[in-house]
Amino acid sequence: MSAMDPTEVFRQEASELFEVLEGALLDLGQRPDDRELVDSAFRALHTIKGSGAMFGFDKVASFTHEFETAFDRVRKGEIKPTQELISVALAAKDYIRALIEEPQTTDDIIGEGILDDLKRFVSSDQPASPVAEITEAPSLAPGERKQAGWHLHLEFESHILRNGSNPLDLLEDLCKLGPCFVVPITDGVPFLDEMEPEDCYLKWDVKLHAACDKDAIDDVFMFVQDEMKLTLSPLEHVEAPPAPLFQLLDEEPVPAAMVEMPAPAVEVAPALVVEEPAPKSEIKREAPPVVRREEAKREERGIATVRVQAERLDELMDRVGELVIAQARLTQLASAGSDLSIKMIAEEIERLASSLRDTTMGARMVPIGSLFGRFRRLVHDLSRDLSKPVEFVTSGEDTELDKTMIECLADPLVHLIRNAIDHGIEDSATRAANGKTEQGRIELAAVHSGAQVLVTVKDNGGGLNTARIRAKAEEQGLIAAGAAHSDHEVHQFLFHPGFSTAQTISALSGRGVGMDVVKRTIENMRGSIDLSTQPGQGTTVTLRLPLTLAIIEGLLIRVGEGRYIIPLSAVEECVELTAEDERSRGRNFLNVRGNLVPFLRLRELMTASGRPDKHQKTIIISTGETRVGLVADQIIGNHQTVIKSLSKLHSDVTIFSGATILGDGTAALILDVAQLVAMAQSKVEKHHISEAA
Amino acid sequence: MALNPTEPKWSLRLPADCSIAAIRNVYDLIREAFGRQDRLEIDCSSVDKADVTSIQLLLSTAKTGAAQGRPVVLTSFSQSLRNTLRRAGFASEAMIDQHFPQKKDGT
Repeated sequence: MSAMDPTEVFRQEASELFEVLEGALLDLGQRPDDRELVDSAFRALHTIKGSGAMFGFDKVASFTHEFETAFDRVRKGEIKPTQELISVALAAKDYIRALIEEPQTTDDIIGEGILDDLKRFVSSDQPASPVAEITEAPSLAPGERKQAGWHLHLEFESHILRNGSNPLDLLEDLCKLGPCFVVPITDGVPFLDEMEPEDCYLKWDVKLHAACDKDAIDDVFMFVQDEMKLTLSPLEHVEAPPAPLFQLLDEEPVPAAMVEMPAPAVEVAPALVVEEPAPKSEIKREAPPVVRREEAKREERGIATVRVQAERLDELMDRVGELVIAQARLTQLASAGSDLSIKMIAEEIERLASSLRDTTMGARMVPIGSLFGRFRRLVHDLSRDLSKPVEFVTSGEDTELDKTMIECLADPLVHLIRNAIDHGIEDSATRAANGKTEQGRIELAAVHSGAQVLVTVKDNGGGLNTARIRAKAEEQGLIAAGAAHSDHEVHQFLFHPGFSTAQTISALSGRGVGMDVVKRTIENMRGSIDLSTQPGQGTTVTLRLPLTLAIIEGLLIRVGEGRYIIPLSAVEECVELTAEDERSRGRNFLNVRGNLVPFLRLRELMTASGRPDKHQKTIIISTGETRVGLVADQIIGNHQTVIKSLSKLHSDVTIFSGATILGDGTAALILDVAQLVAMAQSKVEKHHISEAA
Repeated sequence: MALNPTEPKWSLRLPADCSIAAIRNVYDLIREAFGRQDRLEIDCSSVDKADVTSIQLLLSTAKTGAAQGRPVVLTSFSQSLRNTLRRAGFASEAMIDQHFPQKKDGT
């Protein structure tokens, strides 16, 4: 196994930090008074700077430093982050990303221009955020003891040095607030054999003799607050401030006597003296130590994670697929024989293979939030370019999907969100005239639904113009003029290639390219797409996706001599084809508890030879709200299906989405549910038209 | 950087870079030297890049030596190393002496 290139590790980490930075900047546009967001952006910037310098990305470190400096007035709460400022900050983020990922495409002049813009915006005098205003410390009541400083206990996460953070710089910053007495705690340093040389073992106790605000101390540690434990307690009642006990490097060295000398006049807060119980009267005055870091975060960090290259996960999945196929063969051979011990081993291997499959698939699962984050920038930029204020709301970010699915979903979602903003959301004037809020809203949500994940893009725009879609479909000859079609059927024309109702072609949409591509992409992922709309209220596009593309649970059926797989997630129920249904030959409708369901005879579709079985079975499958029956000779049972792609030779065969190897070594084709449903629907439409005629 | 052939065979001269970027190599070297010798003298005169990891490694070396009864002495602290020690709070000679067994010139 080859070790990962450290610069590649930096690039990956930086990529995650860019997402955090972008998210914080975009949120800041919505909530300019949220200091936590400013801190979060600064932490990300600081880590990029530190790690960049550590891995030799000097330009990155230098530009990020300038970015930090220019943005510092925002951090200090002196100016408010306006939309213009956020836009420039986002451009700066893009530039840093380019410096890391594609340095050859960058130009110093661009970077300087961005910094100039940034400096220009932050130098303009804007009102400070009310939240960020420095509040005066409450005046002391008579007799109350004056706070003389702070006692700090600093304990860093072991990995902090690897991130490029330097505790010594922090101590130096701290000492700028006032005279400091710094005591290193060396107890945690292990023996050589137990040591990880890049880990941080030192801790520090610091007495800061300055009556500064706690926020000033927070500011020193803001970049590392999630990676350390900072305990703060006030020092009280000092008669004479001690001489500076910690000095900056450019100052004179500290005489030894001063350092070693205890500060007798300083009453240390009881929280410091852990071993010695403090008198009760003092305990009452004691300010509770401020422990910076939530327990949840501590627990979160307790979970060890390992970065694995994506290709290795793909390889692992392939191997598991082969194992599952081999296991199926073993099971089949064992069941054909009479050796009980072989049967037991086969069952054990089946159980283990199934468990290994689930574990491997679990390792490939990625929260969809990693994808959702990308669209916030898209919405921000489109909203600005089209002058349509849009609120972007996401939910279900924790919903997990196979990493391949996440990668495939990006482009379709870009199309859907663009369409929603360009066509769905009305301009502010129209919205105001219709009694709506000036700001439009787009919701992107993900939720688990059985073996599927539903991803919805919902806007609160004007909704689809069904009449215009119908007129366009008639104009393009897709339907006969005046033919009876439900609104739902009419809306499906939006997925036809080259179909667009946009009256003007913009850079974003109107060429009729997009929705058909979206549909094809989703169907290639064995998913389906559904539209629903309410005039004046908005449109919702729902994507139904399987959890994974690699291995699925399938229903194995026989049609003539051939065997086929139907994805189990699409199967609703299985019923026997009754004699009455048989007699309906030509109409191809099945009566399922009073509902008419169209069905397809797979024997006809597959041109199967031989006589059909006496008792034919119907498998009811569905995509969205549409149900279709598939008539087969025999239902064999469940089958763990390792999906293999069809060769290019078979790429024109649309009713199959892939193939798999069965236990006896023969191949079975996997039916493409979406195509079969579309085929059945088309037959229904023809039936309607012929009946109308 | 390796064991210094011109010095007594238990002497080890630390390289110029003892920062986190190179600390793994320094760590391996010290362990290797520890495995071969009963006593160790570490010459710190060439160190011009030091940080928290360098301090920790020296502390750990001294601690390990003391625990195993194998003398470890540090000699000729460079100015850079001294600055780093001071920044970490080892602000006085007395404090440095307490944590790092030093061989002073002529001793």
